Amino acid sequence: MTMEKKKTVIEVRDVSKTFYNREGDHLVVDHLNFNVYENEFVVLFGPGQCGKTTVLNLIAGLELPTGGEVVVNGEKVVGPSPSRGMVYQTTNLFMWYNVMKNVEFGPCVRGVKKAERRKKAQYYIDLVGLTGFEKHFPVKLSGGMQQRVGIARAYCNEPDIICMDEPFGHLDAQTRYLMEEEVDRISASEKRTVVFVTNNAEEAIYLADRIILLHNCPTSVHREYLVNLPRPRNYVAPEFLELREQITKDMDDTIG
Amino acid sequence: MKVAASIKNFLLSLAGFAAILLIWQLGVSFTSVGNLLPSPWAVAVRFVTMCTNTVGRKYTLPMHLLVSLRRVLIGFGLSAASGIVIGIAMGRSDLIRAIVRPLFELVRPIPGVAWIPMAIVWFGIGETAKIFIIFIGGFVNIVVNTFSGSRQVDENILNAAYMLGANKVQAFFKIVIPSCVPYIFSGLQVGLSTSWMAVLAAEMVSATEGVGWIITAGQQNADMPQILAGIIAIAVTGLALASLMRLLERVLCRWRVRGS
Ligand SMILES: Nc1ncnc2c1ncn2[C@@H]1O[C@H](COP(=O)(O)OP(=O)(O)O)[C@@H](O)[C@H]1O
Ligand SMILES: [Mg+2]
Repeated sequence: MTMEKKKTVIEVRDVSKTFYNREGDHLVVDHLNFNVYENEFVVLFGPGQCGKTTVLNLIAGLELPTGGEVVVNGEKVVGPSPSRGMVYQTTNLFMWYNVMKNVEFGPCVRGVKKAERRKKAQYYIDLVGLTGFEKHFPVKLSGGMQQRVGIARAYCNEPDIICMDEPFGHLDAQTRYLMEEEVDRISASEKRTVVFVTNNAEEAIYLADRIILLHNCPTSVHREYLVNLPRPRNYVAPEFLELREQITKDMDDTIG
Repeated sequence: MKVAASIKNFLLSLAGFAAILLIWQLGVSFTSVGNLLPSPWAVAVRFVTMCTNTVGRKYTLPMHLLVSLRRVLIGFGLSAASGIVIGIAMGRSDLIRAIVRPLFELVRPIPGVAWIPMAIVWFGIGETAKIFIIFIGGFVNIVVNTFSGSRQVDENILNAAYMLGANKVQAFFKIVIPSCVPYIFSGLQVGLSTSWMAVLAAEMVSATEGVGWIITAGQQNADMPQILAGIIAIAVTGLALASLMRLLERVLCRWRVRGS
């Protein structure tokens, strides 16, 4: 992998974020710096409450930095934009819309003609394996299937980058493994720049081109790991287990 | 299993009705209750007569019901339309909430019937006064429920819509309104039953037709079967209105139902 030649898509430049509360100021992100390159799958990895969601919200434009700046494709982030998609920790679906209407929501509000957006949505519904569930309301789907809808909805808007915030954190282990395979397959067939947040080392190594280990709160980059294992990865390969041990140990150091 | 259970429940409820009717009939036949209450049979006969012959000058019982229903539909329609708009405006705009909420909180605890004298002073004893009383009857509950619904719109879901490219207007109609609908319906449900009570109160004060009038007229003539037949008509219609509203809710909120 020769990252130097790749186009830089996300630049997080010296970003700090302080929340101002009644109880006082809360510094959550402290001089954070990293880049993400085109079509790269980057995993932000760190302990719970370290500020991972905050970092994703800063990239998405849902929060604004109190210091430094986030630049995406050469433009400073000043608010949310459909060019940056998000898959959420809890299924954040529009419960009053069926699967099809959820997936086509982005193109719909951006004025894409019905026939065209239906075709596009159908493509992504098929891609995430929900063919036949187009007319179902989310409430009738399992947690794993709801996250598939969330993924299809984000991809269907064809954003430049997709942020995923612990999308499988609430799923049982079995479903979680299955969904990791699915994301691996989807991101291989639909090349996008992905920033994926997790606190699960196994998930990070299974999916990432590169893992960025974050410090405990206030967070900044602790270490980076390039993951050069062939895909699909084997959870019990010696190299996999070795990296996992290393990363888990490094994460314990950030807490201790 | 499910079907068997619902048949069992249906039979049990029939048994309940039968038991009440039996006790009523026995009480009238064998005790002095007969001096106070006509027998269920006499009430049923009167009910049928009232459906075919006029009660009062020109209307049969179903026509009286229609008169009352028309008043309720107008009054309730007005309170639904204005209550939903005011509830959502109050919930979604800080400015409107700051201005309107204190006024509303002051008006809210006033019982609907307390407006009757005011309504008569303002509008006389015609249709307008009755519709106003029905309007007040439904309004408060609809505003309260719509307001609390529009305060509970999930910010994360709104943000999800904005992230996908929705503008404010799209977010309002595609996110805010649909997530309020279940709350609006619980307001409409309560509002409709209070409106139905309000029309009776209004008609009992002044009217020459309507089911409320039937009861008042029955009282003036000491005509017990007429009063009871009127009460039964009111109960059945009220139940039908509530069921209709539930049906509409089930259609519009089917996205909330888990099972298939
Ligand atoms: N809007 C906010 N206001 C105040 N504090 C916040 C806000 N959002 C997050 N935080 C704080 O920032 C810290 C990191 O939160 P978060 O980014 O959600 O962590 P993670 O996603 O890694 O679990 C937590 O201590 C949390 O309380
Ligand atoms: Mg988080």
